[in-house]
Amino acid sequence: MPIQVRIPVQLRTLTNGEEVVSASGKSVLEIIEDIERKYPGVKDRICEADGKVRRFVNIFVNAEDIRFLDNLQTPISDDDEVSIIPAIAGG
Amino acid sequence: MPELLEKYSRQVLFPEIGEKGQARLIQSKVVILGCGALGTVQADALCRAGTGSLRIVDRDFLEESNLQRQTLFSEDDVQKGLPKAVAAENRLRQINSSVRVEGLVADVNYKNIEQFVEGADCILDATDNFETRFLINDVAVKYKIPWIYGASVGSYGLSMTVIPFETPCLRCIFESLPPPGISPTCDTAGVLAPIVNVIASIQVAEAIKILTGNSHCINRKLIFFDVWKSSWKQYEIASARSEGECPACQVGRFEFLEGKEGSTVTTLCGRNSVQINQGRENRLDFEQLAKRLRPLGAVHFNQFLLRFNLDNFEIAVFQDGRGIVRGTKDPNVARSLYAKYIGA
Repeated sequence: MPIQVRIPVQLRTLTNGEEVVSASGKSVLEIIEDIERKYPGVKDRICEADGKVRRFVNIFVNAEDIRFLDNLQTPISDDDEVSIIPAIAGG
Repeated sequence: MPELLEKYSRQVLFPEIGEKGQARLIQSKVVILGCGALGTVQADALCRAGTGSLRIVDRDFLEESNLQRQTLFSEDDVQKGLPKAVAAENRLRQINSSVRVEGLVADVNYKNIEQFVEGADCILDATDNFETRFLINDVAVKYKIPWIYGASVGSYGLSMTVIPFETPCLRCIFESLPPPGISPTCDTAGVLAPIVNVIASIQVAEAIKILTGNSHCINRKLIFFDVWKSSWKQYEIASARSEGECPACQVGRFEFLEGKEGSTVTTLCGRNSVQINQGRENRLDFEQLAKRLRPLGAVHFNQFLLRFNLDNFEIAVFQDGRGIVRGTKDPNVARSLYAKYIGA
């Protein structure tokens, strides 16, 4: 079943302005790859060339940071929500 | 003291503060770095709350477009062309003469930040760029000064409270600076006053907890708030302290404070220009950047260089993020323009 993924403003030019998109997958990586299929270019903005999450981006499953779960291999269940949270600059 | 307690009676009545908490607040020293939207709201609230001493540091001068959200300033201040730190000091003295207020006009950088925060009981982040925030984090961790991160753009914002060696620090959460040119700024994406007020108010509440001896009540999560979508969320970050390998609070390497990370600024002799070198590998997406800047001024780019013209200035940025700001010899003005329009 697809889950909801919150897209930050920085990436919404790639998701046709959508703030929340649906994606399917059993892990965070599969979710990101599914988003990439629908909205090409998103994965490159989230992950480095070696596949690791960029160091200025945080991904949360529900309220938990995936770095302290199982990173991109963190399993995803039907009711989970994934949020991509980059740092904010303005003040 | 009795008349002071009367002055702050509504706050003293709040049981978690009480007379004891208010007495601590009156003795405390707060440093606010930046005096734009967040900084004016913070300074106003902390001044009214009776903080003992407020030092406010900002590099900018007032512009008319500041008045929509920067609550301490008036049209008269703009007409006089006052620096924000000076206009803020004047206004805060009118609001509460019991508070020692010091407005300093300066660009906060790795060479001077230690002198600005010396003796502070708490630092409030009111800057408009990532680099200064990473610098605040370094100095706060090094000297074990609590500080409160806050940032807002558009209708949303983030905040987290850092008590060094007790909670995660900013670099535990955001390990490195984003490359320039990818993050929306208030000058490219706009900002609503209500989100600034929400984020600044969260920061002030956190500061008051710390300063009144209520550190056990602080927020230990990353808070996200969006006033337009009417949504807010809290993200767990505690594990970042216990399981992370933070260069600042775990390893004790203060790369921003030592000037090893972050940008360098050079005034280009005889050219009325300032060069800003980001000092790290970047690759800017000129198409995206041009899209954001076009509503604000003329933009031209090729595969090597993007030029953006705004009033009397031109900002030229190269693919690697290096920028040349034409129309000024003042590094403060150049840094400010780069942070506002390119984003650093």
